[in-house]
Amino acid sequence: MAGLELKSLRKSYGEVEVIKGVDLNVEHGEFVVFVGPSGCGKSTLLRMIAGLEEITGGDLFIGDKLCNDVEPRDRGIAMVFQSYALYPHMSVYDNVGFGLKLAGAPTDVRDRKVREAARILQMEHLLDRKPSQLSGGQRQRVAIGRAIVRQPEVFLFDEPLSNLDAALRVDMRMELSKLHHDTGATMIYVTHDRVEAMTTADKIVVLNAGVVQQVGSPIELYQRPANLFVAGFIGSPKMNFVELTVEKLGPDSVTVSGKDIGPTTVPADPTSLKPGDTVTPGIRPHDLTDQSSGNLVGEVSLVERLGNETNVSLRLPSGAARLAVLDGDHELRIGQSLPLAFAPDRAVIFNKSGIALHRK
Amino acid sequence: MKSRPSIFLGIIAIPVSALVFLVPFAFIILTAFKNKQQATLLDFSWPDGFHLWNNIVEVVTTRNWMLLTAFINSTILTVASVTLPVIFAAMVGFVLARRKTRWNGLIEFLILAGLMIPPAVVPTIWLLQGIGLFGKLHGPVLIEVAYGLPFSIILYRAFIATIPRELDEAAIIDGARPFDVFFRIILPLLWPVTVTNIVVQSVGVFNDFTNPLYYLPGNANATVQLTLYNFQSQFNTSYNLLFTNILLITIPPLLVFLFFNRHIVAGMTAGAVKG
Ligand SMILES: Nc1ncnc2c1ncn2[C@@H]1O[C@H](COP(=O)(O)OP(=O)(O)OP(=O)(O)O)[C@@H](O)[C@H]1O
Ligand SMILES: [Mg+2]
Repeated sequence: MAGLELKSLRKSYGEVEVIKGVDLNVEHGEFVVFVGPSGCGKSTLLRMIAGLEEITGGDLFIGDKLCNDVEPRDRGIAMVFQSYALYPHMSVYDNVGFGLKLAGAPTDVRDRKVREAARILQMEHLLDRKPSQLSGGQRQRVAIGRAIVRQPEVFLFDEPLSNLDAALRVDMRMELSKLHHDTGATMIYVTHDRVEAMTTADKIVVLNAGVVQQVGSPIELYQRPANLFVAGFIGSPKMNFVELTVEKLGPDSVTVSGKDIGPTTVPADPTSLKPGDTVTPGIRPHDLTDQSSGNLVGEVSLVERLGNETNVSLRLPSGAARLAVLDGDHELRIGQSLPLAFAPDRAVIFNKSGIALHRK
Repeated sequence: MKSRPSIFLGIIAIPVSALVFLVPFAFIILTAFKNKQQATLLDFSWPDGFHLWNNIVEVVTTRNWMLLTAFINSTILTVASVTLPVIFAAMVGFVLARRKTRWNGLIEFLILAGLMIPPAVVPTIWLLQGIGLFGKLHGPVLIEVAYGLPFSIILYRAFIATIPRELDEAAIIDGARPFDVFFRIILPLLWPVTVTNIVVQSVGVFNDFTNPLYYLPGNANATVQLTLYNFQSQFNTSYNLLFTNILLITIPPLLVFLFFNRHIVAGMTAGAVKG
């Protein structure tokens, strides 16, 4: 049984601080996904947990053990690399069994475990091949096999699927979920694919520039993003942001209006606001519906008809561009004006510094 | 399609290179078959009779079977001064390629210096006498190792830099200690370079004439190249025996070359294209 605890973990390369104090709790058996834009420090954080990167500040607990200075082999972890990192001169069998061999496991135990892992990953027929004789998906399986024979408490994955084609990626994603379910081990998974994050994670950690932006379940992040960054990062297509002015404050709502939208009352925490402030409501493209009574009117600039839904790009009177995803098929002309409505309680208000003002 | 001039050049190149390489060899073989009188003429005539066997027996038994001792000495010298640089150079290359410290610049400079500074014979002899290794086989082993190291290190370091670091890291996660990473992951992957290294270094050491001449005086320590002196003197040179001797001591490098030939070609091109 091993959860993880990161206490204000830091990492600098010389002068440059890459991880700026990360606090995180991971329960045993959780599937945690790190997401964030390229260069935000996801891999670095993962490698610090693995022990491949020295920790410059803070504490890392795996299980109940302080692991800052523990060798990778003693941390009870296994890692799968983006490039697979299979040993090219060894057969699949030896690749998978390498860790056990180093640990001095008896030959029969090793043989049993390797074959067991091969069975789980359906690659028994590949055991005698060299990595160069495998396809990308098969190499990925071997890399995962190498991780599971060690029966680690914690699996670490650094963008394991990014070298695979789209169809295979979906398959492997489901297989990883199944593996997580079967082994019950803790898994930490780095990706910059939001869909991968949303579909697999118990808990998503959104990182930006070495700082944790928000930690929560996928739906929580989608519905109650903590700030503009998370709101913009989670969910596809991207959330629409409109700059508006506060008109009136209610007990737990704010009435906003502006050039693009008539007065609308949105549920939010008004305590830090006063009338006349500028705020940024965020509206998901999927929450916009076409209604002639709608108070958001824009000019259609691009239409993508997918059959089950229609993506519409709009230009608002203020000149800002917005995206709406309408249910079903709509025949729209470019240049026509389109009134849209949205359910105010699905919108999120962000204050000037980008912090979400959720209703208590 | 190949152009006409390039085919033409190819047709010319083959006989020219054959001539350059095979004529001296043919001369050695022919002379080794001759008796002393005919060999003295040093021409390309056909041997008068079959004297090869007599020549071989005489060459081998000369000076109390000196050639055999020489072969043993040369083998020891070659094996030791090929094995040590291969292992050490690979290790140094590994550390240099993988660990960046502020000493790297200095270390690389020293390696280059080792490659460029000409060997000084007299001080080396003083040093060997000082540490009591002059005239013993260990001395030249150390010297050949020292001569061989810089180039091998550079070769290995360049090749190790092409091995992805994630391979080391995967092994470390799998529980490998530094020596495991080196001996089980890196060294096997270096095989093409190692073969090239073994061939170049072993042929070089085996055929080395000057270093054993300086540092291994005395018959007991002679290496094969030194046995050539047995049949050559200012006044009386037995060319038939000399060339028989040459023929005999050419055989081991030839065998090494034939044995590793396929690998050498692989080694020269490996790393050029990512596999
Ligand atoms: N050895 C290093 N020296 C200096 N800076 C480094 C080093 N390694 C990484 N960095 C910096 O640390 C930051 C985080 O890198 P990291 O590899 O963790 O990003 P990432 O989130 O994994 O990005 P990606 O999604 O592209 O893989 C980057 O800005 C990178 O430039
Ligand atoms: Mg990364």
